[in-house]
Amino acid sequence: MLDRLSLDGKVVLITGGGTGLGLAMTRALARAGASVVIAARRAGPIEEAAQEVRDLGQQALAVTADVTDSAQVNRMVSVALERFGRIDALINNAGAVQENVVKPIWEISDQQWHQVMNVNLTGAFYCARAVAKPMAGQGTGKIINVASGFGLRGGRDLYMYCVSKGGLLQLTRTLSFSLARHGITANTIVPGYIPTEATQSDILESLPKSGAFLPTGKLGRPEDLGPVVVFLASDASDYMTGETFILDGGGLAGGLAPTGYAPLAELEP
Amino acid sequence: MPILPEYSLAGRRALLYTAGGDYSPLLAQALAEAGASLLVAARRQELVDAALAGVGTKSPLAPLYERGELPSPPLQGGVGGIFHSGVVSDLTTPAGVAQVMATLDSDDAGPIDILVNDARSFFAKPFAEISLQEWETVQARNARAVFLLCQAVGGRMVQQGYGRIVNLISGLAERGMANAAAFSASQAVVLSLTRSLAVEWGPHNIRVNALGLGWFSADDAPPEVQQQEQLVRYIPLRRRGHPRDIGPLLVYLCSEACDYTTGQPVYVDGGLNARA
Repeated sequence: MLDRLSLDGKVVLITGGGTGLGLAMTRALARAGASVVIAARRAGPIEEAAQEVRDLGQQALAVTADVTDSAQVNRMVSVALERFGRIDALINNAGAVQENVVKPIWEISDQQWHQVMNVNLTGAFYCARAVAKPMAGQGTGKIINVASGFGLRGGRDLYMYCVSKGGLLQLTRTLSFSLARHGITANTIVPGYIPTEATQSDILESLPKSGAFLPTGKLGRPEDLGPVVVFLASDASDYMTGETFILDGGGLAGGLAPTGYAPLAELEP
Repeated sequence: MPILPEYSLAGRRALLYTAGGDYSPLLAQALAEAGASLLVAARRQELVDAALAGVGTKSPLAPLYERGELPSPPLQGGVGGIFHSGVVSDLTTPAGVAQVMATLDSDDAGPIDILVNDARSFFAKPFAEISLQEWETVQARNARAVFLLCQAVGGRMVQQGYGRIVNLISGLAERGMANAAAFSASQAVVLSLTRSLAVEWGPHNIRVNALGLGWFSADDAPPEVQQQEQLVRYIPLRRRGHPRDIGPLLVYLCSEACDYTTGQPVYVDGGLNARA
């Protein structure tokens, strides 16, 4: 039964796969036997990630692409198909955590709004649209969107991030229902706070430095995503679609009090 | 065929509680295949026997592990666990749970790392006709037993500073359905327990998650036959789930690698939750 967790012979395309959480997922996919197409705007990190995949004995292809440009997205998918002939799974991981993401609503420009929405949400839509036809032709396919706990709860002055990540959850549900008849599943991974280079250098310095606030008492590590993304990309998840897989240290399960503890109270007579 | 070693349950000991249904053989098989040794607990011998049927009581490789000639049970390749056994007990009572705990202590197979509760004894009747006795029986098998087991086994896990608890629940934990009030309420109890225990025991390195199911059946009717039913046509993937569809996920949720997910239901339902 567990051999369905192998990605032997599968081709997986991951956006933003050269850094941060994406790099950790790329490594896990390769270790599970997948050929990996790694896409991002900058060539350097994805070339390095591709070499890591090759060092693990799997095939890899680095493709530079800006997911906010549908022409580049379509080209990225064409290049992947030319090289491997199929795409078994798409991981929409490219995301914007750049500066100016935290702002009072009256200071957000049109351009800032659209920039984050374009990367986090429209980019995922472009990528899903580009792979949907080939996957439908194969009769199988897996689309995995990487959202955030902020897609399920509000964050102070975090408009574009919360709204775009919440939109990803609905994109997943609509893809799952609409494409089920073509053998395509779609699921969302919701990472809670998992520090990476991207978040450490960002202005999101209000984010906590330790996991003391979480039920698990510790922050997540990028490697925690590995077994989950491999499961969702594998045949082992064939009956799972439209769902949300949350890795957040228990934050979303609780969260009604900063301590997580209710004050003790005896039963009334 | 490469499989991430993170999914391995080698050396882990699991208690599987089944309240009925025909899923337990494949659940047991998945856990054993990943290398866990099992104690199956149920209220009737047939339920225990059914769960153990797929794994036997002892792996043919067990002597090799015991003599140290094999490093650890393999992640795949048939029965991987070293030692599997069962106990018949009324898990709805403290005495029955104490009996299970005594069995755990008597067989010298080490501490308990994993608790899997498959407490989904199904029952459907118009709400006005449900007797108090029926209500109490459903809540006892499906909710009270989980409360008692989590308290007894979880207490050990707190002491040892490690544990994984997975509660199988129905999607009816979060939806209403005519005739299913008693069953649905019992599932909602277990989902709620999952969330609170995850928060309460998170600091003790215990993870508590739920594996949520849609419409499942262990029969292998081809999709075209299943689709003659309106219910199946309503499922986006247009077939019922089969217990083998959840085996690998169950293994992951029971593994040490499942460290940052806790207090969550993970649903496998063919897309039912997502559709309008």
